[in-house]
Amino acid sequence: MKRLLALLLVLVMALSLVACGQSAAPAEESAAPSAGTENTEPAKEPVTLNVVTSYGGDDGNRKNFEAAVKSYEEETGNKVNDGSATSNEEWKAKVLTDFETGSEPDVLFFFTNADAEPFISAGKVVSIDEIRAEYPDYATNMKDSMMAVASDGKQYAVPSSGYWENMFVNKSVLDACGIEVPGPDYTWDQFLADCQTILDNGYTPIACSLVEVPHYWFEFAVMNNGALDNQLEVPTVDADGKLVDDAAAQKWIAALNDLKELYELGYFPKNTLTATDAETVAMFGDGEAAFLIDGSWKVGHFVENYADTLDDYVVSYVPGKGDRSASEAIGGISMGYFITRKAWDDPAKREAAVAFVSHLTSDEVLSTFVTTEVTALVNGAKPSGLNALQQSAADANASITGVVGAVQDTITGEAKGDLFANIQNVVTGKMTAEEAVESAIKLN
Amino acid sequence: MNSMIYKKKTPLLLFLIPAFLFLAVYLYYPFFQNVLNTFMSIGGLGRAAEGWNDPWYENYQRLFTDPYMRTAMKNTLLLIVCTVVFQVGIALILALLVDTIRVGAKFFRVVYFFPIVISATALGLMFNLIFLYKGGMVNQLLLALNQLPYEVKSNGKVIVEWLDWKDQAHFLFTMFMPVLWQNVGFYFVIIVTGLNNIPQDIYEAAALDGADGWRRTRYISLPLLRNVLCTCLVLAITGALKVFDLPWVMFGAGMPENQGWLTGTYMYDQTFNKMNVDYGSTIAVVIVVLGVVLSNVANRVFKPSEDI
Repeated sequence: MKRLLALLLVLVMALSLVACGQSAAPAEESAAPSAGTENTEPAKEPVTLNVVTSYGGDDGNRKNFEAAVKSYEEETGNKVNDGSATSNEEWKAKVLTDFETGSEPDVLFFFTNADAEPFISAGKVVSIDEIRAEYPDYATNMKDSMMAVASDGKQYAVPSSGYWENMFVNKSVLDACGIEVPGPDYTWDQFLADCQTILDNGYTPIACSLVEVPHYWFEFAVMNNGALDNQLEVPTVDADGKLVDDAAAQKWIAALNDLKELYELGYFPKNTLTATDAETVAMFGDGEAAFLIDGSWKVGHFVENYADTLDDYVVSYVPGKGDRSASEAIGGISMGYFITRKAWDDPAKREAAVAFVSHLTSDEVLSTFVTTEVTALVNGAKPSGLNALQQSAADANASITGVVGAVQDTITGEAKGDLFANIQNVVTGKMTAEEAVESAIKLN
Repeated sequence: MNSMIYKKKTPLLLFLIPAFLFLAVYLYYPFFQNVLNTFMSIGGLGRAAEGWNDPWYENYQRLFTDPYMRTAMKNTLLLIVCTVVFQVGIALILALLVDTIRVGAKFFRVVYFFPIVISATALGLMFNLIFLYKGGMVNQLLLALNQLPYEVKSNGKVIVEWLDWKDQAHFLFTMFMPVLWQNVGFYFVIIVTGLNNIPQDIYEAAALDGADGWRRTRYISLPLLRNVLCTCLVLAITGALKVFDLPWVMFGAGMPENQGWLTGTYMYDQTFNKMNVDYGSTIAVVIVVLGVVLSNVANRVFKPSEDI
């Protein structure tokens, strides 16, 4: 009897192991035929799409994204497994890791620059041409000329709204200090003088977490030490790993030294080396700090969280220095929707993924995401009912005389991570600006 | 009946094999692969190795020259000491106190154990609010008690000198305190169980001999808890080496100014953020070696008594 029982238990255990092992098999079986067949049957049954975007956390467009997902689910009967998060270097690393470990989503909203190259070159996403071969109307509402081109010459992502980076100012702080809202001719010297006045009046001039989000200031500091035309030039190292002392290196070094000067003058928050971005943005929002460099995505954050004091915030201009005018800014269309090879090769998910991207990038839905940003829509976006802050952003953008992409988007994630992690070492004097640039570029 | 089971080894083996296979595939194979990875150049998770390092022990060489690794080791060893002294120490005191009371013992057992069931991430976020720079609970309390200096500007604006609990002067306390607090309950439960296993008649005999509470604790409870405490020490040491989630949520990548690294957070940062997988693997090996060595040392120093 005991022997029989033991045998039975072993059998049950063995069967359960076999069952576990087979659970992944149907997906593999279903994926296999589609690789060889062109005619994929449209999905009859509702499917669940795994979607990852940067519309998570406190993103200003979170609610618009949720509404768009809901309307997609209602229209198609499909379900969306939303794995969205806030965009930062850690999130980017996680997305890339997911691709490398085979756990990528079906649809990904991600950066279209060098950050996407690892999964594009690995063939893990489907090109727009390949999708159009089966779905000729895919992304035809977009201007092809504004779609990002990968290093292999193909286009993969359907662009969403663009972005701009500029300086937000808190009018209530400026008023309390007797300072005018900066205009498009704002200079670095005026800025330094204003910062000192603000500091003397008991406010923090610049809301910025140098340990978490130094990249906006770095970007403009580089432009202030160069020009719009050469913003995207990146320093290089020689065969021995030594930094080549050229114009690109010089402007990066000067940019880091500018940040060091601002830090030493006490214009950043006292806890800038331990504060999170959320803390410093809250300082600005609460009327404790005067200036904040951030992107178009931050407008929604203020609209949602500071509705009562929205009139206090204005989008202004980052002070200009040298050849750069304050009316020159960072901007472009840097993100778009990718359909992964995994979803494309799954007959059940192919159509659902195409429908999802088409829905999210339709004129009607995309217009809800847009206030002042550029889009690639052929017919243009039709935002409605701009509030005071959005109107100020639109006004500032109207005075912009030049826009260029962010240089940090052209270097590898490893180099970028190293550079920004070392900014705290530069401002505290533990490392020279030259050492920080060389250390980062060695990883590029 | 028993003798029959032990004579026939085949069923025993059959039952052991699935668990062994599971461990072999998901623990031992990755571990040995991880050791191999330390000698290779790997530029990202899931990416194929680009070849052997030159020299092959490059990562181990770097361990000794990397200032952040030195910081991580120093902080981790300090955390181990604090864990042993405060976590196990406080757990022991609480367990001895709870063991002596008759009413409310169950209540205190639940209360002290409760932090264990809360996720470390949630605790990290909670302590972030407690130690927040402006408007955090501790700073508000200090302000209410007039313990924070302030200055009144000519325009009437009051500038409070908030205490930065994450700066270089305070970060160790801010980082260690929640970690220690969270796990006291774990050791508390182990020690309370050990105390419950001590036969009551020994205490009764001691009481008849006139031993007071302190003597009963000193000469009965503590000696008979030796093996339990030894287990707690080994668990505390290996546990402290693995601490990651709570400090990561509160301090991220080495805050403040790269002084806040622990071996766990530094390994994660190198592997997942810096994409330096081979060096991250090397740090992982260090963590394992340290765990084995330190727990062996603890076992030898506080050798479990076979008489108990």
